Amino acid sequence: MLSEIIIIVVRGIAIGSIFSIIAMSFNVVHNATGIFNFAQGNIFILGGFGAYLLANQVGLEIWLPVLILVTLAIGALVALQGWITLLPLHSSVEQDSWLISTVSVSVIIGAVLLLTLGPFPFNVQGPVPGFRLMGSKTPGAYGLAIAAMVAWYLVLRFFLRRTFTGLAISALSQDFDAARAAGLPVRRLQIAAFAISGLVAGSVGFMVAPMVSVSPDAGMRYVLNGFVAAVVGGIGNNTGTLIGGPLVGVIAMLTAYKIGGAYQDLASLLVLVTILMLWPQGLFGRAAARRV
Amino acid sequence: MAVTAKAIAAPSGTTSAPASKSFSSDFPQLLMGIVLIAMTGLGPSMLGNSYWEHTFQLVNIYVAVAVFQNFLFVDAGQKSFGQGAILGLGAYGFAIAVGLNGLPVIIGLLAGIVAATAGGLLFALPALRVQGFHLGFVTMSAGIVFPQLLVQFDWLTRGINGISVKLPGLTDPLLFGLSPMTLIVTLFPILALLLHFVLRQSPLGRRMRIAAESPEAARSLGIRPGFMRSLAFVIASVGTGISGVLYVPAVGFISPQGFLVDLSFVFFFAVVVGGRGQLLGPIIGIWIIHVLPTIILVQLIDYRLLVYGILTLLVVILFPDGVVGTFESWRRKRSQVGGGERGFRLDRFTDAIRSMVPVTGKPSDVPIIEVRNATKKFGQVVAIEDVDMVVRPGEIHGLVGANGSGKTSLLNVLTGLSRLNSGTYSFNGRDVTRVPADAIAKLGLGRTFQTPRMFPSLSVWDNIRIGLDARDEALEPEFATLAQSLDRDFANDSPALLSHGQRRLVEVVRVVFKQSSILLFDEPAAGLSPEERAEFADLVRLLSRTLGKAIILVEHDLDLVWGIADTITVLETGRVVASGAPAVLAKDPAVQHLFVGGRHA
Repeated sequence: MLSEIIIIVVRGIAIGSIFSIIAMSFNVVHNATGIFNFAQGNIFILGGFGAYLLANQVGLEIWLPVLILVTLAIGALVALQGWITLLPLHSSVEQDSWLISTVSVSVIIGAVLLLTLGPFPFNVQGPVPGFRLMGSKTPGAYGLAIAAMVAWYLVLRFFLRRTFTGLAISALSQDFDAARAAGLPVRRLQIAAFAISGLVAGSVGFMVAPMVSVSPDAGMRYVLNGFVAAVVGGIGNNTGTLIGGPLVGVIAMLTAYKIGGAYQDLASLLVLVTILMLWPQGLFGRAAARRV
Repeated sequence: MAVTAKAIAAPSGTTSAPASKSFSSDFPQLLMGIVLIAMTGLGPSMLGNSYWEHTFQLVNIYVAVAVFQNFLFVDAGQKSFGQGAILGLGAYGFAIAVGLNGLPVIIGLLAGIVAATAGGLLFALPALRVQGFHLGFVTMSAGIVFPQLLVQFDWLTRGINGISVKLPGLTDPLLFGLSPMTLIVTLFPILALLLHFVLRQSPLGRRMRIAAESPEAARSLGIRPGFMRSLAFVIASVGTGISGVLYVPAVGFISPQGFLVDLSFVFFFAVVVGGRGQLLGPIIGIWIIHVLPTIILVQLIDYRLLVYGILTLLVVILFPDGVVGTFESWRRKRSQVGGGERGFRLDRFTDAIRSMVPVTGKPSDVPIIEVRNATKKFGQVVAIEDVDMVVRPGEIHGLVGANGSGKTSLLNVLTGLSRLNSGTYSFNGRDVTRVPADAIAKLGLGRTFQTPRMFPSLSVWDNIRIGLDARDEALEPEFATLAQSLDRDFANDSPALLSHGQRRLVEVVRVVFKQSSILLFDEPAAGLSPEERAEFADLVRLLSRTLGKAIILVEHDLDLVWGIADTITVLETGRVVASGAPAVLAKDPAVQHLFVGGRHA
């Protein structure tokens, strides 16, 4: 019994790490633009698609370069998406055109995946060997997911606080007009933020593909759970996602274990609504001053 | 039909103006929409083509859902990505009652409506707390989870096997080859469109749009935005639920696969592609998003999602207003009237008040506003601290101080938009420290905002009229005559052509029309010409002396304040540094430095 709980918790944390990473990629774009990229789930799946096409059942020496290649390609693609999304936003982010354009990009990616792969999920073999946890065989991707969450968290933290570009992107989250007045190339920084979110989501989609059912409609699940993780952690707060993601993951695993796998999304939806009703700023968010 | 439509059009006051100069094109769009729906609804049956008959029955049902989505999205400002689930609830409610349990059709109809409304209320619940993309995610998640639950609860829904329902009586030809089903499915979207049109012309519809565009302005007019949102969700859900009920006999079979989240996207995209907020938008949108791919790409059914996505993306980037919206904004640019010489002035307003009988008798001794030891903090920042302020009925009270001294924060407290951390606030002798803004507004407080709250989708007259909508009592006869003349002159004027100063004056007139015993003006004179300023000072004096209203005036134009105020309160870094009659204050050393260059030496 205890070992079962431990297995569930570890696997929940691993799946939650993916949610946490998607939440971080949300946050990067959101802080820089005020935009929430609804396509982030399918961008993540796109990474898994890369692993399936280019790096299935290969050794580490091929897997690693392909990982970098796929990551860069997805980063460029998302930068393009960002450029398109920001096109109609001349004056303010308050317009809601981005809501529509990011949803339609998500639909387009899903449709392309459907046309090239068909509707069924497929399996990906990773190069990282599995390990035994409390006597149960666990794919290596689970460990990789947790490691990727910690690694991306540290990289983003360093980038956003220690590098000039990162600091400039962080400054955008405070005040666009002030950033523009200070001479920052706002639009280019915002596109950079999109690119970074693509690197984050794409690379992890590639790495953890063995534990994800890569299929055209799987993206929805990740965009939903990633958003829940971001809300639980407080939107814009990457440190919060380190708790938010694993929490959502463990709840999903517990739901699957106790009630049934089909109820996982319902459980996430209930968590989302509960948090929004009780603590709209998230568990670790900052309260924003009201603007009248 | 024509008679009804005319009767509805009459109140909008467009009868005398030529159609091309009208501010809103809702009425011609309504007519076009009715014609289009009738054509697609009745045409195929009259031609005797049963394949198209079935196809277009479904099209018309989708049109109805999109009409309600349009209303919910634009008029109520609620971005729901889950209307497909609401449609599914309506369909399943009906199918379970009628198809599985053999209950009468009318019970099935009720079951469908109840199920859809319950779903809509579940959406409205988070909408009370959060808006924008939060709500988008919640409703989208619901759209994702809904078909999963349909599969799981197979004891109720028969899971993936679905439910087939046959209602033979509905599909037998009744007259001219038209079956009752055809007639109902044609009539329902027309009714939906008509309802949308009527709601827009009504005070309720206007108040809903204000609540969507500016919740603060709405609350200051006594509107509860949360109530408006819930009501909008209920209206949209009932309509979408009925569409769901109609979906069952139209298709004959329902299963979870029919209500995937993609369907919700179809409705949302249809509204966007057609033109957000345009009455005709959802119809054109469903044609482009649903009909075109279904007919033209019938061989390439797999590409449908791709086509939806690309079409929507292109439209958002190239024509952000959608197809109908692009035509409409082009028309509006050409036919826009108002502004310039015909722009908005106050003189006829002051004239109307001059013709009224002044209130007589000594005003009540109970202060209309009494604030004691009021402190308001935002985190560590102290906005106002230990403020005392008393305003008596009929008094003109000036509130001055540098930028950031807490004037607007104090106004927000008085309006009820922000709540005191400590201290008390009473209105007309009643403690309202913890009373929300809409309730304070109903007690008789009106305000304007530093940035005027103008609603570009409403004409200048409708922008004023929302003040009248907030009244329970009948207008004074002089004001009623004035309202008629404003209706005549400004019903088709676009607020986009008003200068910044004129927008302020429109907002001032709006709150004057609102039933109130005290008016709060936040920097009303900024951007006014000298003549407009004089007229405004006149108006304030008349409001106080003739109508007996108390006025609080936040203003940087100290000449104006010193010229008309009875009492002046000076704020500095959140504290009251001086308060009293203008003549006395002008000599107060604490106030002297406000006057640069010794204008009041």
